[in-house]
Amino acid sequence: MELEDLKSIWKSSEPVFQPKNEQEIAMMLKGRSISIINKLKRNVWFELVFTIVVSVALLIYALSLPRGAMKWTSISLLLMCLASTIYYVKKLSVLNRVQGINENLHDTIAFLITNLTGYLKFYKNSYTVLYPIYFFLGLLFSVMERGTDNFVEFLSNPSTIIYLLFMAGVFFFISSWFARWFLKKLYGDHLEKLKSILNELNQQ
Amino acid sequence: MAIAEEKNFISLINEHQGLIHKVCIMYENDADVRNDLFQEIVLQLWKSFSSFRGESKISTWMYRIALNTAISGYRKQTRLLKTEDLREMHLNISDAGGDDYDENFQKLQWAIRQLSEIERAMIMMALEEIPYEEIAETIGITQNNVRVRMNRIREKLKKLMCP
Repeated sequence: MELEDLKSIWKSSEPVFQPKNEQEIAMMLKGRSISIINKLKRNVWFELVFTIVVSVALLIYALSLPRGAMKWTSISLLLMCLASTIYYVKKLSVLNRVQGINENLHDTIAFLITNLTGYLKFYKNSYTVLYPIYFFLGLLFSVMERGTDNFVEFLSNPSTIIYLLFMAGVFFFISSWFARWFLKKLYGDHLEKLKSILNELNQQ
Repeated sequence: MAIAEEKNFISLINEHQGLIHKVCIMYENDADVRNDLFQEIVLQLWKSFSSFRGESKISTWMYRIALNTAISGYRKQTRLLKTEDLREMHLNISDAGGDDYDENFQKLQWAIRQLSEIERAMIMMALEEIPYEEIAETIGITQNNVRVRMNRIREKLKKLMCP
């Protein structure tokens, strides 16, 4: 069976489909895109706005505090939020440069893989940094609530240390598992699919 | 000006919608998901319409955007057909009476759907008489690579259609 035979079969009929009229097509142009780029843009926008709102709230809260650990804790969180804001703005500028899918398939897939990998890496790294920070913030709040002397006494009990280590382990395990699951669900499967397609394209 | 451009675009899609439907049918099983994909392809074509300068044939440009959208730009998960479903579908096609051409066409459609996503894209364009040079440009591989792959695809289709 030669290619010409396949062509003649292909042209002999048409697949069954419901044709769209011009009104339906016009309506489609007003619809919302569900492309991966648009989804990424929407997510990044959402996170950017959320980070800005949290930053403003933290700034107001930090300014209202006279001094002390809570003020510095708020300021350190604020700095982390500002660093994230810079990342999100940079990410949006990259995504906004993609106007439609005009490149060839190989380049489009390579671009998507780079972007999705960077996005997922950023989240994984953020979580890796944030978990210990949250844990130590928790300890810090405990010190502030009990007072340093009481806290040291509380910590000198071996069962307390075991309890704290256990809680740290559980906290780290659950949040890491959740982050991995969430990211995989969000983009991970799609990323794997793209990688396997690119791999196929790179083979001779 | 913008209205005229939109009007032109709509009539262009109306005229060539068979091409988009073919891509949707080859890449999605579920009718609802196919509709979503159709809309997404139309939206992506509309976004790229202003940058289309007629350097390639309109069908080549449409295939480029449609295949890019179906393969890489679209994340919706669909129910995958199980092997049993596919076998059953194949048997139904084989058992169906009627026109030989129609039966062969359905067999060919079924066989194309068994190929990988890249192979599907390549054979669809080849069947639409798109030159190898443009297939190579659309996919992002060399013409020589297209030739080699097309031979493999043809062999695969042959085995699938005439086991």
